[in-house]
Amino acid sequence: MSLYGASSDTNVKRVLIALAFVALGVVGAFFYWRSLQTPPLATEIVALQSSQGSDGFARVIGAREMQFPRDHGPHLDYQTEWWYYTGNLQTEDGRRFGYQLTFFRRGITPGTPVHRASEWATNQIYFAHFALTDVASNTHNASEIFSRGAAGLAGATADPFRVWIENWSATSMNADASKVNLIADDGKMAIDLNLTASKPPVVHGAGGVSRKTETSGNASYYVSFTRMPTEGTLRINDDEFRVTGNSWFDHEWGTTSLGENAAGWDWFSIQLDDNRELMFFQIRNKDGSIELLSSGTVVEPDGATRFLSRNDVTITPQAYWTSSYSQGKYPSKWRVTSAAGDFDLTITPVIADQEMRVSFVYWEGAVDVQGTSQGKPVRGRGFVEMTGYGLQARGDVGY
Amino acid sequence: MTSPNGNTPRAIPQTSLIRFENVTKMFQEGENERAVLQGVNGGIARGEFVAIVGRSGSGKSTLLNLLAGLDTPTCGDIYVGDTNVAKMSDHDRTLFRRKNIGFVFQFFNLIPTLTVRENVLMTAELSGWKDNDAQAQASRLLQAVGLLDRANVFPDKLSGGEQQRVAIARALCADPELILADEPTGNLDAETGARILELLTTLARKQGKTLVMVTHSNDVAARADRVLKMEHGKLAAVGPQVVESGT
Amino acid sequence: MKLILLKTILRDLLHRPWLTLLLIISVALGVAVVVAVDLANASATRAFELSTEVIVGKATHQIVGGAGGIDDGVYLHLRRDLGLRHIAPIVEGYVGAAELGGQTVRVLGIDLFAEPPFRTYITAGTNVSLDALSAFYTQPGAVLISADSAARYGLKTGDPITLQIGTTKKQITIVGLMQQPNDVSSRVLEGLVLTDIATAQELLDQNGRLSRIDLIATDAEAETIRQTLPAGLRLVRASEQADTVTQLTAAFRLNLTAFSLLALAVGMFLIYNTVMFSVVQRRRLLGILRCIGVTGREIFMLILAEAAVLGLIGSLLGLVLGIFLGRLTVALVTQTINDLYFTLSVSDVSIDALSLVKGLLLGIISALLAAALPAYEASSVPAVTVLQRSDLEDRIRRFLPSLNIFGVIMLAVGAGILVFGQSNISLLFVGVFLVLFGLVMYVPVLTIFVMRLATATIGRVGLTARMSSRTVVQALSRTSVAIASLMVAVAVTIGVTVMIASFRTTVENWLGQTLNADFYVSPPLSGANRIVSMDPALVERARAVEGVDAIEVLRSVTVAAQELGDVRLNATNGGRARESRIFRSFSGDPESIYPQLDAGAIAVTEPFANRHNVTEGSTVTLLTDKGARAFSIVGVYYDYSSDQGSILMSLDVYRQYWNDPAISGFSVYVAPGADVNQVEDGVRAALGGNDVVVQSNRALRDAALVIFDRTFAITQALRVIAVAVAFIGILSALMALQLERTRELGTLRATGMTLRQLWQLTLLESGLMGATAGVLAIPVGLILAAILIYVINLRSFGWTIFFTSVPEVYLQALLVSVTAALLAAIYPMLRLGRLQVVEALREE
Repeated sequence: MSLYGASSDTNVKRVLIALAFVALGVVGAFFYWRSLQTPPLATEIVALQSSQGSDGFARVIGAREMQFPRDHGPHLDYQTEWWYYTGNLQTEDGRRFGYQLTFFRRGITPGTPVHRASEWATNQIYFAHFALTDVASNTHNASEIFSRGAAGLAGATADPFRVWIENWSATSMNADASKVNLIADDGKMAIDLNLTASKPPVVHGAGGVSRKTETSGNASYYVSFTRMPTEGTLRINDDEFRVTGNSWFDHEWGTTSLGENAAGWDWFSIQLDDNRELMFFQIRNKDGSIELLSSGTVVEPDGATRFLSRNDVTITPQAYWTSSYSQGKYPSKWRVTSAAGDFDLTITPVIADQEMRVSFVYWEGAVDVQGTSQGKPVRGRGFVEMTGYGLQARGDVGY
Repeated sequence: MTSPNGNTPRAIPQTSLIRFENVTKMFQEGENERAVLQGVNGGIARGEFVAIVGRSGSGKSTLLNLLAGLDTPTCGDIYVGDTNVAKMSDHDRTLFRRKNIGFVFQFFNLIPTLTVRENVLMTAELSGWKDNDAQAQASRLLQAVGLLDRANVFPDKLSGGEQQRVAIARALCADPELILADEPTGNLDAETGARILELLTTLARKQGKTLVMVTHSNDVAARADRVLKMEHGKLAAVGPQVVESGT
Repeated sequence: MKLILLKTILRDLLHRPWLTLLLIISVALGVAVVVAVDLANASATRAFELSTEVIVGKATHQIVGGAGGIDDGVYLHLRRDLGLRHIAPIVEGYVGAAELGGQTVRVLGIDLFAEPPFRTYITAGTNVSLDALSAFYTQPGAVLISADSAARYGLKTGDPITLQIGTTKKQITIVGLMQQPNDVSSRVLEGLVLTDIATAQELLDQNGRLSRIDLIATDAEAETIRQTLPAGLRLVRASEQADTVTQLTAAFRLNLTAFSLLALAVGMFLIYNTVMFSVVQRRRLLGILRCIGVTGREIFMLILAEAAVLGLIGSLLGLVLGIFLGRLTVALVTQTINDLYFTLSVSDVSIDALSLVKGLLLGIISALLAAALPAYEASSVPAVTVLQRSDLEDRIRRFLPSLNIFGVIMLAVGAGILVFGQSNISLLFVGVFLVLFGLVMYVPVLTIFVMRLATATIGRVGLTARMSSRTVVQALSRTSVAIASLMVAVAVTIGVTVMIASFRTTVENWLGQTLNADFYVSPPLSGANRIVSMDPALVERARAVEGVDAIEVLRSVTVAAQELGDVRLNATNGGRARESRIFRSFSGDPESIYPQLDAGAIAVTEPFANRHNVTEGSTVTLLTDKGARAFSIVGVYYDYSSDQGSILMSLDVYRQYWNDPAISGFSVYVAPGADVNQVEDGVRAALGGNDVVVQSNRALRDAALVIFDRTFAITQALRVIAVAVAFIGILSALMALQLERTRELGTLRATGMTLRQLWQLTLLESGLMGATAGVLAIPVGLILAAILIYVINLRSFGWTIFFTSVPEVYLQALLVSVTAALLAAIYPMLRLGRLQVVEALREE
């Protein structure tokens, strides 16, 4: 029924993010160092999104028989791919932190490249974002690295699952990759976390397929671990903290490009204390409307999933915060309600400024949640991502 | 009237502008020294016109050079006013000359690269006159010597007499007290020479200048207030009129 | 300064156009040479700095290894395990590029993602399209070149370029052009082929190896990194690397500068001469001025002001001429640097403002200095001169004794500097100048002596002959300066010629003794201080050719020595080549040298020993792939292939310490009785498919001498200019003399001397002066040659040169001097013909 079509659209938002990120990532890598010399031109970035050829890459058409750990690994036939870890952590005495560690892959040409004599030869670009939110000090810091996918500098493997760029990595600690060790260190801040999935992987949509537009093939595959109890250490400057909490893992891949009408998107991942999770996103069009294909997934305590369509959810911003860096005016409080009365949640960022000031500027941060779930009072935590609110290229915001 | 050895000063006017005492000048000639002037004494009054006469080699030009401060005596003193020119450094003598002495030469010695006017006002400029004053003075003098209309030509376009008239204007331009002339008519024909002499003496007298002139010419000497006759490096005779024979 | 005085003297200048022109030309020529050499040097240095800028970028330190480079794993360890971020891998090498004008270009392989903190030359412009970057990143053989180079050679995106790499040819493709926002940095990119690091490894056959790793780090951080490095790798300051290379050419560039200053010095003689003459000519004018109250000080300033004005005009003219000459010179300089030191591409002379200002100041100051003495002379012109003859010549002659004492002092100080001046080349050149000018002080005395000799000999011929020699002495103040300038110029010619000839003979003999193989096989692209490699397998293929008796292999690399920096190391397995080396000194008996080498000792070349102050018995610590090892020196041998010097090591010993199986070339000995040409063809055939150069003994020797001659081409050019300057000097001196004597000549004519006789007189005077200069120049030239050979070359380059006498050069010197002098007499003679006797008599 509608489930198939609708659920395949669940991932449009992440596709957009992926495309924007990955496209921008490629460009970002180039433009990152151009920005050291001359201001990169936003127009070129936009131009690239459509000009960057995806000829020869496989398209996401039809359901995929997901196999793990194979599908935790890279899919070089598809142009873009990312592994996305976010989470809310706290020390024993209750000090709150949020973290994000994301690895992106971008293929310049499809598939494994023809063998070349040099170890350095590659057609892959990897880059990663790493951010920490420290509620106690009201700070949020982000950094990024880029690397070629060769010579051992960066890469991804399925069995055992591992994705890494230099000394940032996600490494599975068991065969099905449900236990993962995350390491990142940018010199000022660092994490060393162990994540263990408490529910089986969630395959969003039907067979993981997420259609972006009506056009066939403009879609991605999307799988998640929506609840991964986490323990480990994090370091900010010279202070090291033992922390515990919950993480969320997304893995998506596809070959597609951004819709011309899209202005940006808002994405929510919520972990409620009744052991339910909610993922929902909406695409904002340039004309101010909300894209019809906006959608989400509810994950029940037993791991069962339920699709949410555009009309199932209403998101109402209730407050705003303006970034002095990007001039973006971001919503900073939301009321999220389901039409069916399944939930009614108020979502508040743990701190207002969790803007990611990397090559591509966006807002991604830890949030607190309270309200009702299935009629009962509930609290929760989560992560929200917002793009398209301010100037987005680093060079545009005045370096 | 004159002592045979010239050592006794005689008839030195009380109001002397110039006094020279026991002036001796030796020149080196190979191994030997030759005395061109031997203990010459004398004086010249302010406003006086004195002619110096004598045979070639008698030392008259040397005496003139010494008076001008162009050269220094081997011994002896030369006072111009209160200043002992003989004891001054070359630099001070030059500055002294610049202010107090005007020159008229036998061969005119105009500077060929300067115009008539520039030649004339040069002495005034060197003495530090203001440009306007110097220009006015030059015009006045050129008018006086009758060459104002030739002010902007170069000396080589002028005849000998005209050149010497420019030289006279130049000598007077910085308004010096003393005019020294070295055979100013020696290179001119008799008629022109007479006119130049007339001009020089008239201008000198009119402006109250002291004029000392070396000359071979009896006519010239005849016009002088006093004549100093040089013989073998000594002042042979001093008189209102000494008519030299044989030159 | 009173304006009217300036007007007087400047208008006077216009009345003497010839004189004015001569003075201006003397200044202009001197300045032009200095500026040309300075511009050429500055352009070469700037080009080097620019290429360093490209290569080093903002790196503060570099990790470098031996000939084999650095293993990829080292970089991975630093980046991934130690988390270092400001670190970039580089793979580079020199290749020939047919489509880029056949020049040697630098292939620079970079990792785009590691580059941003270091180099901005791609990032500076936005002209490299993303498509181009994508291709650059993923396609084998994809390269970027500068848009300027592309335009110059008519290339565009998509065009192929054929690279000559070692013994093979490889094709690459231009995928994009780099455009720079301004001119300076675009020149940076010339001679650069930018590739992805993977492409560079593949092109240069350096898979798994990096050429170096760039770092941005504080010294403390660098020290920490240093300690983690495996044996055989070194961490050096980026500036040190650049300095070393600049120092390579320091001696060469200084030598050029010294020669250019010599030209200026000759120019100064000229200015002195001309100004002195103008003073003499103006004695009457100066006298009038003194009479009417111009002070000596004012006259002094007046003459200086005049010199300054003419100096300024001459200098400006010299700048223009210098820039023009600089364009010619820069090619010569660059060629030499490429031949002898390192690869440098200088496309154009950069008009360095500093060079121009230096030239301008130098010209004006020289003019002022040279005019100081004449100006002093002018200021002391007694006012009575108006009525009297000059006593100048008397004064000059009275001054002679002090001149001689001054000469002794200069000679003593100069000699002292040369003996004790060590290897400070600037100081040594000061010594050379002091000795030269010390000798010049004796020119007046010697001129009097030679003229007396002339009077006693040719004087018997007749009155004109007697008159001529006496005139030269009478006008000593001017004639001696003219003779001195010509003498200095000719002496420099003799000195430099004898030095070059001695050097050439020495090198020729050395080549004859050293090159004893029948022919030599090497990669096509070889040059000083470049490491070229070829496949060792080729040796076996050549060995199999019939008629090959023996093959000796050479591996020539740059290695790091503790405290000494980078040094050249030649490793051979040569048995026969050994016999050809001539040792300057050694420890033990000569028979034991090679056994000791086989046992792990080394020998060094003479320049190496001199440069690093080592000799037999010393040790040199080399950083091998197995860590630092001390090698003891058994001997020092003569070698003229490089002024940097090199170390000789047994190939077996080298391979024991370095993981480097490659070879740089080999020499082939043909079996007795076999036909050399046939064997050579055979070897060629056996190596077919590989681009190797097979050069016969003869060809190699000739090629070496061609480079030698090219190296000295610039010196030869400077020599010609020095002679030109001196020629103008003698011309102006003679003109001055003749003009001054107009009245005298008029009188001679009036008393019945024929024009013919006057011509004779002039020619004789001129010839006598030229001959004097020529005769005096011979001993002075030999002294100069000896200094250049035994002091300058030995100390600055470290070579022992064996003095070779070149008899014909003395005859040449005499001929040049006399010819120059006789030619210079032509104008005064023409003028004599037009001389109006009456006019001449009337003057003064």
